[in-house]
Amino acid sequence: MNFTSLRFRRGRHETTALATFMALQSIAAVFFVGDVFADLVGDLGSPHSLQEAFVVFVLVLGIFLAGWQLRLTLQRMRDQERALDTARGELSRIVENQFEEWGLTPAERDVGLLALKGLDLAEIAEMRGAAQGTVRAQLTRIYAKAGVSGRHQFAAWFVEDLLVGKLA
Amino acid sequence: MATPKSRHETGRAHSPPDPWDPVVRISHWTLAAAVIANGLLTKPGGTIHIWIGWVALGLLALRFFWGLFGPAEARFSSFLPDPRAAVAHLLQLARGKPSEYPSHNPAASIMVYALWACLVAVTATGLVMTGGKSPVTIAEEKAAVAAGDWSVLVDQDDSEHASEDNDAGEIMEEIHETAANLLLILALLHVAGVAVESRLLRRNLVRPMIYGRARNK
Repeated sequence: MNFTSLRFRRGRHETTALATFMALQSIAAVFFVGDVFADLVGDLGSPHSLQEAFVVFVLVLGIFLAGWQLRLTLQRMRDQERALDTARGELSRIVENQFEEWGLTPAERDVGLLALKGLDLAEIAEMRGAAQGTVRAQLTRIYAKAGVSGRHQFAAWFVEDLLVGKLA
Repeated sequence: MATPKSRHETGRAHSPPDPWDPVVRISHWTLAAAVIANGLLTKPGGTIHIWIGWVALGLLALRFFWGLFGPAEARFSSFLPDPRAAVAHLLQLARGKPSEYPSHNPAASIMVYALWACLVAVTATGLVMTGGKSPVTIAEEKAAVAAGDWSVLVDQDDSEHASEDNDAGEIMEEIHETAANLLLILALLHVAGVAVESRLLRRNLVRPMIYGRARNK
């Protein structure tokens, strides 16, 4: 149990607490709505039912806000986890896993790795003892499988996690 | 890792989330507990039974809200019912080579919707049977009757409609019981499905629904 996993567990506790709160809010909302439903339908517009409608509205709005907050927190936790994985020098493992996930063939994996290391077409072809046309075709297939438009996006795919934070 | 499906957006893991997000986990286990409690343990129509029903209603509402506004893997859009894909997945299972999906697998998705449909049917008919009265009101009425005040038992309707109401009430009760029994059977199937899938994927699928991570760091 190292420091980082402890940190994530704490984050998990926070999100669990928030979710529990949402669950309680939902139960409260259902009860309240159920209790005042007859009033609300019966005489809409009376001060009493307006007040109750207001309370229902605020309750439900609270659930929405908690949900929104929770979603942001979960997203942030996920981003942090990815960024941390990257920063802990596990980039190669991440690249390997991602290549596997994209379904690259062994040859394509080698080419993709060389491309990530910044070698150009001629250099890759030379290193692999293959024709440049072959390498170009392999790169095209790699980009297609990764769903990126080209080399820059392909490289950025792995680097962007290191650059947490919005573009100014 | 199974071979990924190209139709998924890139850059997403092709396995169910680990762990599932807390709203999914809490609603899952609360509803499971409610089904077991009300299906097998509590006295049908009793105050506790009704209390649990209302709690389940709240959690079901929350889960549906989360299915619209939650993170990707919790949203309905990531596991829309697709019977053909479900059958294909079951055939894969029979061959012992299931693919992985970023959310529920197609067969599980059908199961999720079936369970939800039963839950909606059970809670809705339960509400009709109790006249939509909250458990607090019902408990108060019961206490009043016990104390000798029988006024709450007087039907507000005139007697003409009473027989129709009774028929409707019986139909509601039938639906309530049928849906509840179906729910229990489906829950058993669901557990069996998780067990089979866990074995074949060689991965504990229950743990992400409880807590923590399966990925050992």
